[in-house]
Amino acid sequence: MVGCGQCTQRRQLGSAALGLTHNVFIMRTDFVRIYKSIHTWTGIVTGMALFIAFYTGALTVFKEPLTRWATPPHNTQPVPLADTQQLIVKTLIAQPAVAADFSIHLQDAEHLPARLSWQVRNPGAEDHDESSTQHYVATLDAEGAAKLAQSTPSHLATFIDVLHRVVGLPVDSDANRWVMGIIAGLYALALVSGVVVLLPSLVKDFFALRIGKNIKRMWLDSHNVVGIVSLPFHLVMALTSVGFAYHDGIYLVQDKLLHDGKWGSAFQQQRPVKPVSAPRDPATMLTPIELITKVKEFAPGFEPTTLQYQQVTGPRALVRVWGKDTTAVSPRARGGFAAVDPYSGKVVNSEFLPGRQSTPSLFISSFFALHMAAFGGTAVQWMYFLLGLAGAWLFYSGNLLWVESRRKMKPRQAETLPGQRLDTRLMASATVGVCLGCICGVSLTIVGGKWLHGLVSDMNAWHPILYYAAFFSAITWAFVRGAAQAAIHLLWMAVALTLAIPMTSLLAWLVPALGMWTHTSLSSLGVDATALVGAAALTWMARATSKRVRLGTPDSVWFAGKS
Amino acid sequence: MAKKTTQPIQRDWLSKTLAGVLLGAVIALVCSGWFTQLNSEMPFAIRGQLAMWMVPPIWLGVLSGTYFFGSGARAWLWLGAVSVLSGGSLAVLRLA
Repeated sequence: MVGCGQCTQRRQLGSAALGLTHNVFIMRTDFVRIYKSIHTWTGIVTGMALFIAFYTGALTVFKEPLTRWATPPHNTQPVPLADTQQLIVKTLIAQPAVAADFSIHLQDAEHLPARLSWQVRNPGAEDHDESSTQHYVATLDAEGAAKLAQSTPSHLATFIDVLHRVVGLPVDSDANRWVMGIIAGLYALALVSGVVVLLPSLVKDFFALRIGKNIKRMWLDSHNVVGIVSLPFHLVMALTSVGFAYHDGIYLVQDKLLHDGKWGSAFQQQRPVKPVSAPRDPATMLTPIELITKVKEFAPGFEPTTLQYQQVTGPRALVRVWGKDTTAVSPRARGGFAAVDPYSGKVVNSEFLPGRQSTPSLFISSFFALHMAAFGGTAVQWMYFLLGLAGAWLFYSGNLLWVESRRKMKPRQAETLPGQRLDTRLMASATVGVCLGCICGVSLTIVGGKWLHGLVSDMNAWHPILYYAAFFSAITWAFVRGAAQAAIHLLWMAVALTLAIPMTSLLAWLVPALGMWTHTSLSSLGVDATALVGAAALTWMARATSKRVRLGTPDSVWFAGKS
Repeated sequence: MAKKTTQPIQRDWLSKTLAGVLLGAVIALVCSGWFTQLNSEMPFAIRGQLAMWMVPPIWLGVLSGTYFFGSGARAWLWLGAVSVLSGGSLAVLRLA
């Protein structure tokens, strides 16, 4: 961005002789200047919020492994799949209202405490707010009678997802999504303007990573490389996020202007309703195993994970057979589904079945899949995880460049150091505090999930408390001690808290008396291993930062050594 | 073209931004209207969703490009003309 102005000037000199093209180049430098202002201001306003969104978003890719890691062990034996029909029938006799919507989980995993579960949403809660939803499970006792109980699934990963969805705010509410939408819109502007600024010198700058004395040049080159390489990813994220934020409003306006007020009826079922006088008997449904077989015959590559039963005693009884097909695009983060009539076994709708969608439906699904890494399996999830972290770094480095561009250099002959501007000192502190505070907070709230289990009555209420305690403490510390020193302290704090994740699992395994647990599934151990690698990366950053703070140039907000 | 560019481009942050945000929204909605109009054979639920999803990219695309205009007044003039022509013709088509 800095180099391109000079470069265009040089090209102007060369082309001045041609006269004709001269004005085009003046115009071009002016565009670059204008778009550089846009890039600077949209970037600095949104950078820290986007850091939080991307760091927590990278972790949200592995929402299920995180939930499994944080779920305490349960000793109920899941009802065998072969006996599940009995479980369904007995549960519905005990609690007929459950027939409206319940799920049968086909996998055995730490976070699935029983074969059958259902939820009761708080009618007052907003659309995306899951925090007040009640969860229930059903099992069969030794005598074969249905046993219904309330369950409290871990909200750890859900909370991290909320931070991701609303850029670090505590609740996924309409108002907070408005804020997120504005951030996402500015982020889109920052992307376009960044490209406009870089374009004239793209060829020269893109293939150059100038590592050396000029540290700012190196950061700028890296910022440009990461930005251009992951540009498609970022454009997808920005545009889909604006859609997620404002879809309700856009639908409302389009309903009035384009759909003549009929949009509300668009998703009503088209199936003819057979007149049924009495409630249907769920015992006459096909068994879960039969339903799975039917769906697998219909779509061979599809791996079912959950059966979601809807209105099974009514005339529109339906089972959504949810699952994934790693060779196809999934319409939602959790996969896609085939809609099956549980009494006949007929697949009535494959509009949401991965690989079986019509082209327009696939197009819509791709907006979700491209945002949520719901295609291509584990390899793509890891790619998104890394792209997410690279995005977080992109925003951090952007803020850093803002600070460095406003740095006051010491003239060579001067005796005393120039004081750095107040705004750059404050921005440096804010960047360090917010970004590292987010990392510390996330690690603390993960670790707290094991340590506080059994000590507090409502663990899920503690996840936000732990996160915000660390987050705001870090910000306070960064302003009190200044960016340079606080960066070192907070990085070591992040190392300690992140390392505590695998260490806690190790300790729980060595000392069972502590009342914690260590799951040995690949998913759960993957969380521990990833945290270990993360702690190592943070250690490297902490060491590099403390070296710079001590030995770097004194005329910088990042210096805290002896000058 | 060459003559016009000898004058520096006016920054006009406020008026350009307003033109991009307001008229960008109008143009995006009109585009989604044309899409709906021209794809009436597509199932309603799918057509409606695609119409929603095309709004953010067009809206933000127009907003991002607004700063290329020579001045705020020109941004309003051009984008206003596009809005009126495309929106007006769609309205005529729908009423006819």
